[in-house]
Amino acid sequence: MKRGLSLQAALAAYRPDAELAPVPELDDPDTLLNSYHPDHLRGSMTKLTIGPNAGADCQRELADLLQAEAFIDEADLAGAQVTDTDVLVVGGGGAGCAAALAAAERGARVLLVTKLRLGDSNTVMAEGGIQAAIEPGDTAQQHMQDTLRAGHHAGDPALVAAMVGDGPEVIRWLIHQGMQFDQTASGDLHTRRAGGMTAPRIVHCRDYTGLEMMRVLREAVKQHRGIEVWDQSPVVELLSNERGQKCVGAVLGSLTDGSMRIVRTRSVILATGGLGRLHLNGFPTSNHIGATGDGLVLAYRMGARLCELDSFQYHPTGLVHPPHLYGKLVTEGVRAAGALLLNAHGQRFVDELQPRDIVSAAIIRECREGRGIHTDTGGVGVWLDTPRLERSQPGMLQQQFPKLLARTHHVGIDPRLEPILVHPTLHYQNGGVVIDVNGATSVPGLYAAGEVAGGIHGRNRIMGNALLDIIGFGRRAGIAAAAAEHDRGPKKITLEHVNRARRDLTLAGLPLTQRAPRILPAYTAAGKDIWKP
Amino acid sequence: MTETARDIQPVELLINGIPVRAEPQMTIVEAAWAGGVPRVTGVGCLEGVCGSCRILVRRGKEVNVALGCETFVEPGMEALFLPAPGTDRHQYQLTDLSDGWDIQARFHEIFPEASRCRHCHGCVKSCPKDISVEEGVALAAAGHYREAGEAFLECVMCELCDSACPENIAPAHVGLFSRRITAFFHLRPPNLIHKLEEIRKEQADKKEQP
Ligand SMILES: Cc1cc2nc3c(=O)[nH]c(=O)nc-3n(C[C@H](O)[C@H](O)[C@H](O)COP(=O)(O)OP(=O)(O)OC[C@H]3O[C@@H](n4cnc5c(N)ncnc54)[C@H](O)[C@@H]3O)c2cc1C
Ligand code: SF4
Ligand code: SF4
Ligand code: FES
Repeated sequence: MKRGLSLQAALAAYRPDAELAPVPELDDPDTLLNSYHPDHLRGSMTKLTIGPNAGADCQRELADLLQAEAFIDEADLAGAQVTDTDVLVVGGGGAGCAAALAAAERGARVLLVTKLRLGDSNTVMAEGGIQAAIEPGDTAQQHMQDTLRAGHHAGDPALVAAMVGDGPEVIRWLIHQGMQFDQTASGDLHTRRAGGMTAPRIVHCRDYTGLEMMRVLREAVKQHRGIEVWDQSPVVELLSNERGQKCVGAVLGSLTDGSMRIVRTRSVILATGGLGRLHLNGFPTSNHIGATGDGLVLAYRMGARLCELDSFQYHPTGLVHPPHLYGKLVTEGVRAAGALLLNAHGQRFVDELQPRDIVSAAIIRECREGRGIHTDTGGVGVWLDTPRLERSQPGMLQQQFPKLLARTHHVGIDPRLEPILVHPTLHYQNGGVVIDVNGATSVPGLYAAGEVAGGIHGRNRIMGNALLDIIGFGRRAGIAAAAAEHDRGPKKITLEHVNRARRDLTLAGLPLTQRAPRILPAYTAAGKDIWKP
Repeated sequence: MTETARDIQPVELLINGIPVRAEPQMTIVEAAWAGGVPRVTGVGCLEGVCGSCRILVRRGKEVNVALGCETFVEPGMEALFLPAPGTDRHQYQLTDLSDGWDIQARFHEIFPEASRCRHCHGCVKSCPKDISVEEGVALAAAGHYREAGEAFLECVMCELCDSACPENIAPAHVGLFSRRITAFFHLRPPNLIHKLEEIRKEQADKKEQP
């Protein structure tokens, strides 16, 4: 990487009122992506050798986890306490809560287990908003086309149609749970247009959309008589029937005392979210600490098909400074509101509202070619020009983006006066577990919803579609899981699928030393010695 | 962003009773992990929005509560991670509140303590988000739910105010109740309703012509 300017020098040279030249034409987006997007880094991809996706491309660090040994074997099950329930929901984010509420509304007994505290999730951190085609000039068809186009036409049209069709009803349901959204003076829902959209379609609650959503859903779940919640209880393995072909429950490991518990159930809904904390390709991440891709590992070992394991979203505007917020997100809403990106020389270099993969690749190009801004803690980035935005619309940052100001306030940084240093950060798992419109995976008894599921966003997601996806498909999975038939006769719970995976690993000559799911990153003290009380 | 000379002296402090040497500029959460303090799993977002990293902080004689991911290490500081709060006793379902006309009566049934605030400021002092909790409770008790809810916009549900309240008012839940019923009863956006109606008609038409 060529060295650009230092933070101090760039800041001294920065002027919020400098004249700007127009953005240079982007002649070939594919070349830009191939040369600079992290998915195309040399050596970052490999091919899976075992399991339902054998032969498919997969990011290397993820492949190591998908082809690893389980944490437990039969011996661990002996003596473990057994609990029965109708529906087991794994994960306490937006998708898990929506699934639990939908299943409970239909009379199922629901147990929701989550790794951390209910609500500690990527959902709570979402800022910008949620998409739904509600404006007069907008249609579900348009929303569908935008989603498929931005995803490079890799998304499953049936899933996308289901999601966009759910849009307006999802917003109504959220309001019915008690979620607030920003309104215009005449009472309409306020909408914004962001990258890759043909109409304004993002509804939001200031830049606290995820916090508002999570607070409300968390309270609704906790208040619901039909839902029991267990915190600090990550699933470490699923359970299968004697032939290893149906999911019949899960094994939980307690983070508080290391003990194991068994849950027997007619359906399991995986809503474990994403994998930013695997720090793929060495990138920082915007994700919460529990985003370690556990759901992918659990589903794959159970025999469920996955998709797009070589495609991840690096959000263009992760914070570089201050250091304790490295990788944390600045919402795309700020660019949607008009903030520009400038390199170390104060020049624009990309249309800020291009899809995220393009903008990220362009930022990485600027940094690699010596037009980046370097901090003395080793970070590099470009400017997000918030002071210029503030000058053009005084007061708007405080009014529309209070979180942006509040987060750096206590370290003395004011984005109204100083531009923000940003660099792409690992943000979202585009693919995941293959599902149908009911959230059913290719394994009977196993459902998936939310970021852990794939097939909707293709190879690139546009802003606001994740929050829509988690509520829409969370509810769909909850409804389907609650309606699932009871198995008749004695239910045998086994680890047959684990044994099968171990045989496959041995046959393929792969090592049995690495264990997965990861549960917590190794840099947390608990992640180092997990399950060794 | 002006400090250029970075202090390289390690900072010594106690976390959960365990001596830790941390780098300056580390947060309490980072220091706990780096120092190998076991079982620090009351952590989520690392950016002050999930409210799970509740800590008690002692600096000399002064004791405060705070969020561990937003509090920086200081020499001689003692930090203690607090357990997650239990389920709140104030139970209600929005769908049971079908009539907005008796909402004040229902509110006082669900939160009987809310009218007994003794203005001790305990909640305000413990709030890491500088929310005017006490005022919010008073607004809710007087039936001004929209304004009360607005005061809690930035609430991260750490429930530190609940723990501080000697009257067990559960201010955080009062705030959330206020926000929720405001949406539940009053958020009726014309553009959304229009679209829902359009979709309903389309579907009805489809059913009619087989
Ligand atoms: C900073 C940020 C900003 C974002 N902004 C937006 C936005 O503006 N608009 C938008 O549409 N999308 C946004 N996104 C994306 C969106 O928030 C997420 O994709 C979405 O919330 C994921 O929801 P989820 O319920 O699938 O997963 P999560 O909300 O992450 O929940 C997953 C849950 O599963 C639990 N879990 C994980 N592993 C296990 C296990 N082994 N056992 C038990 N539980 C487990 C976790 O602890 C967590 O509770 C943003 C994401 C981030 C990180
Ligand atoms: S109002 Fe209470 S729960 Fe909300 S942030 Fe403040 S102290 Fe935490
Ligand atoms: S802590 Fe409780 S009693 Fe004291 S001011 Fe706050 S709400 Fe009132
Ligand atoms: S970890 Fe979420 S508030 Fe501190």
